[in-house]
Amino acid sequence: MSVAGECLIAFIFGSIVGVLVQRSRFCNAAALRDAILFKSYRNTKALLIAMIVLTIGFTSFMSIGEGHAMHFDVGLNQMIGLFIFGIGMVLAGACTVSTWVKTGEGNVGAAWALLFTFIGMFLFSLVWSVNYWPPAPVSMTGNPNLEALQFGFANASTLQEKLKIPAVFFGIIQAIVLYGIYRAIVARENRRKAGGKVGMMSTSRTSDRAQPRAMKEAPAE
Amino acid sequence: MDFFKKTLDPVIAMTTIAVIDIFLFLIVGACTVGGGETMMTGLTAKAILGGDTLDRIPFWHLVFPPTFGYWKIYISLGMLFGGFVSAVLANEFFLRIPKRLSEWVLITIGGLLMGIGIRLAFVCNVSTFFGLTPQMNLGGYLAVSGIIAGAWVGSLIYKKILEG
Repeated sequence: MSVAGECLIAFIFGSIVGVLVQRSRFCNAAALRDAILFKSYRNTKALLIAMIVLTIGFTSFMSIGEGHAMHFDVGLNQMIGLFIFGIGMVLAGACTVSTWVKTGEGNVGAAWALLFTFIGMFLFSLVWSVNYWPPAPVSMTGNPNLEALQFGFANASTLQEKLKIPAVFFGIIQAIVLYGIYRAIVARENRRKAGGKVGMMSTSRTSDRAQPRAMKEAPAE
Repeated sequence: MDFFKKTLDPVIAMTTIAVIDIFLFLIVGACTVGGGETMMTGLTAKAILGGDTLDRIPFWHLVFPPTFGYWKIYISLGMLFGGFVSAVLANEFFLRIPKRLSEWVLITIGGLLMGIGIRLAFVCNVSTFFGLTPQMNLGGYLAVSGIIAGAWVGSLIYKKILEG
């Protein structure tokens, strides 16, 4: 496919994502922050369902050698980098997707976050140019390089090659694990809802004066 | 249109995005945002500093030589466009400006950390959750554990600020 064609497809994809994210108010930062701080899982459940669909989809096509899987060596820099990113995402109140979508909505704070994301990237490019770590994709070999804290490359396709089992088999296992987490969240929500109702009923029986407060608290559950 | 009058269930939105992301995976590659943002950083730096100055920084010719033909840029621009059109059609477009200085400080620090984190990891949250992990890439599991720990620490800081 031509470069222009690739760019056009990416733009159409991005536009659809922009509309859907704007209408649903989905945010990756909220998916993690709300679950940790407020025990609210609206975005977390959506994230898990998307990951289940993607896991089955990607690994199915990887089983027959189709698709463009990401291919680069990984190492501790992924963990440290996303740790730093995770802190930043919560402080900025938006993830990479929602900064773009919120900027499109006229959110000046999101545009400011975006500007400083660019500045952060540029600053890191200066640091990288001094120590050359983590290794650039051009110098990656696919093998572990423990001196550079790199573990090499491994994904569902390499599992298929090594174990002679279709990649989708591992994908189904991962999807089951993700679905288990999703079910655990739903069960937790149901317990909280049931607890809230019981609390409301007992409060209304013990005191008429307490009833308005209990009613007011119930929706928060 | 009714679609723009009410909030969409995020499960429906994200399932739809996941399905079209599978098509994108087959055509060019899974959705990612950090790579496009890095390329935009390079292009902006080139416009401001000039090509000769940028060439003296090894990162910009060894890792990300700036080019407009990098498809990932257009995912971000599409999201900006889609978000704008959707907000206008839903009558939700208006300027929202953070009012307190503390908000500006948090957003500034947060943005900087996001940029540094993406470049250190070579991946962003989108490629972590919608690319690497569904492909069962080892980097996805490392990144997921990092981002959850980071979000937890960030939430503790955020809570302290809210309370303090």
